[in-house]
Amino acid sequence: MSVSNSRKTANGSRANPRRAAFYDLDGTLVGLNLVNAAVFMLANVGEWSGRLSYLLGFAARIPQLYLAERRDRRLLNTVLFESFKGVSRDRLFSLGEEYCERILIRNLYPRAVELIEANRSAGIAPVLVTGSPDFIVAPLARHLEIADFAANRLVYSRGLATGRLATPVMATDEKAVWCAQYAVEREINLSDCWGYADSHYDTAFLAALGHPVAVNPDRRLRAAATNRQWPVIRFEKYQSPQDREFPDAGGALDELSEIQSDGEQHNEPISRYSRRGSDGAS
Amino acid sequence: MARPESKLKELKTAELRHEVGARRDLVTTVNRRSERRIIPYGEEFLFEKLPVGTRVIYPPPPLEPLADVDQAIRYALLHPENQDPLFAQLSPNMRVTIAIDDISLPLPQMRRPDIRERLLNQVLQTLADYGVDDVHLVIATSLHRRMTEAEIRRIVGERAFKQYWPDRLYNFDAENRAELAMLGKTGHCEEVWLSKRAADSDLLIYLNINLVPMDGGHKSVAVGLAPYQSLRHHHNPATLRDSHSYMDPTRSALHRSSDRMGKLIHESLNIFQIETAVNTRMYGGMLDFLHKNEDNFSDWDRTRLKGFQWTLKNMSSELRRTVLHNYAAPYGMIGVWAGDTEMVHQKALARVFQQYAVPVKGQADILIVGVPYICPYNVNSIMNPILAQCTGLGYLFNMYRNKPLVREGGTMIICHPLRDEFHPEHHPSYIEFFHRCLAETTDAVELEKNFEHEFARNPTYIHMYRYGNAYHGVHPFYMWYWGEPARQHLGRVIAAGCEEPEVAARMGWEAADTLDEAIAMATSELGRSASITYLHLPPLVIADVE
Repeated sequence: MSVSNSRKTANGSRANPRRAAFYDLDGTLVGLNLVNAAVFMLANVGEWSGRLSYLLGFAARIPQLYLAERRDRRLLNTVLFESFKGVSRDRLFSLGEEYCERILIRNLYPRAVELIEANRSAGIAPVLVTGSPDFIVAPLARHLEIADFAANRLVYSRGLATGRLATPVMATDEKAVWCAQYAVEREINLSDCWGYADSHYDTAFLAALGHPVAVNPDRRLRAAATNRQWPVIRFEKYQSPQDREFPDAGGALDELSEIQSDGEQHNEPISRYSRRGSDGAS
Repeated sequence: MARPESKLKELKTAELRHEVGARRDLVTTVNRRSERRIIPYGEEFLFEKLPVGTRVIYPPPPLEPLADVDQAIRYALLHPENQDPLFAQLSPNMRVTIAIDDISLPLPQMRRPDIRERLLNQVLQTLADYGVDDVHLVIATSLHRRMTEAEIRRIVGERAFKQYWPDRLYNFDAENRAELAMLGKTGHCEEVWLSKRAADSDLLIYLNINLVPMDGGHKSVAVGLAPYQSLRHHHNPATLRDSHSYMDPTRSALHRSSDRMGKLIHESLNIFQIETAVNTRMYGGMLDFLHKNEDNFSDWDRTRLKGFQWTLKNMSSELRRTVLHNYAAPYGMIGVWAGDTEMVHQKALARVFQQYAVPVKGQADILIVGVPYICPYNVNSIMNPILAQCTGLGYLFNMYRNKPLVREGGTMIICHPLRDEFHPEHHPSYIEFFHRCLAETTDAVELEKNFEHEFARNPTYIHMYRYGNAYHGVHPFYMWYWGEPARQHLGRVIAAGCEEPEVAARMGWEAADTLDEAIAMATSELGRSASITYLHLPPLVIADVE
């Protein structure tokens, strides 16, 4: 498969898990999106003058990107990746490493990483299926020790990006098709597999899997999840007060989750429990 | 100081029997001139004509609440059962944990101030008076969903919330391995695990509400603060099949197991148990007609019922659910006891039976029940089919002592729309359980063998339990096991008013469009002379079947 990466195990054989968990990246495992990556790359791509021209070009594309996003995720990817036209392959890969290290890893949802590890411990192998470019996804996959991923690839000519995407473009239905192919190759049953995604554009991808989970879903995916009875989970960047339950419970609890804080408001001062007579509490 | 507790009758068996004996008028028989009967039907109420000869069992009227609740609590803390008063057990450097019953009790939620708030205020003040600073408040959720901040604030009250949330007031987490301790094994090889904070405390205070006799006692600590590793020893088909009934702790293997665990916990922990009992005043004000015998309805009662039905019918389902779950019941506290767990629970049980027990002669061929909009596991959520099953076969079937209300091989008619509808954030594992596991088998033993461990250890469900507001992955299995005694006992289960027959079929039930059709289906097999009993809710009743 052109968009997949699959590493062999130490003894040279390819691991063949019985079950897999397919994770979308942007918005699902990390609180960033493709635009963040594009801006970072273009702002660091060359000399100051070059950067400026790339960024101005990108800014000029914003209306087009907005319309593309509203219309079709695949179109968004196509338009977005045109911004990289003329950048050398080596530079993109080195910036990808840098972006991953400096930005992406720091913005991973801690609970998402925890879930990947828990799934792995339960024998559910992680696979990334994302519309992000391979030069960003590859270092992240290495960091997370994920052997297989599907990501978008730019077409290069004489070492320079042409701005075109190699097919299949990892968006909407193509993700589901890729998962099906992956399952056939690995002889696993998709109905035993889990999928995690955040956008309504991933509905087909999630629907192809036996255990779809909507993560921080947008409005339309949330409606679809409710309608199709898919579990909904939330990852957050910062730990909520409710999760600081056990201060000495270790790293797993240094993370976050959502709480509902729609509690009733009380304006009158509340006395504290203290020794009677010491501060007037009764 | 007045002693409100002394106003209560001494709960001697003879007097109790006399009092219960006076309740025979709560069992009536439908005749041709009888009024239709109110039947809970999910988020609506039916008003249906029952066949002539149907026996209707009404809940006893609410007992008189304690005149001064705060004074009664103070008295209980000062005069505990078989223990020193709370203040006498305190010293400044001790570590104290207060465990609190979660949102599953009482149902519906009670008006503020919640009993737990009143108990907490006095207990925390006593601790403060004696210089005890190392105090944690743990919501004893076991494998239930985490309560939200707003829900916790509502039950513990503003004062405790402001002072203890979130560092020292939190939900129990049964999947936080670092915060669990194994205390040992019972003589039946049951592993006893407990919250580490509770296990390491010098004093564990448990604040309980007894809504039904199933609650309280050793079950409070041994279940409320325990993880899956402990619960699997009694929440399983074999144990629950040997429970006759859950409402009769003396004949319940579930309670015997939790008692064994509780006794082991008591060997290593100092526990100060505070148990309370509430009366049956579930609906007051404009809804008090729900407590009445329909034959005694006034025109005003009928008007209110029609208005209530019309309103519920014409609301959107979301609004209806919100309105119903926001309703707060004007429960009255009818007793509070503190001290030694077993002695306290004995007194609480006697009082609870005094409230609920109704003598009933003989079993019926057909039992009709209505499943309401709420059960312990769907507060502020959806009553999904698994929970409807648990409420019907698990709870309502078990509302008896001695013998079930319906004979062995008889038919149970459960009124509920049974929609394929689940809350994706509260009940995620229920969805898979219903669509995948029940599609393969409805046999509880098979389900336990083939699927339970997988669900209990599923990382996504564990994640949603720990960090979201989901019930534990194994919880739908427990809900299914809960109906096991009924499934073993009954010949047929018919869902009356079932909107989605495939849902009923998935659970091994038959479906009928209406109650009349369900009764016709039941009597077609049993004959027209089949005896029918309707267990009238709300509020709640426990039948002492002779």
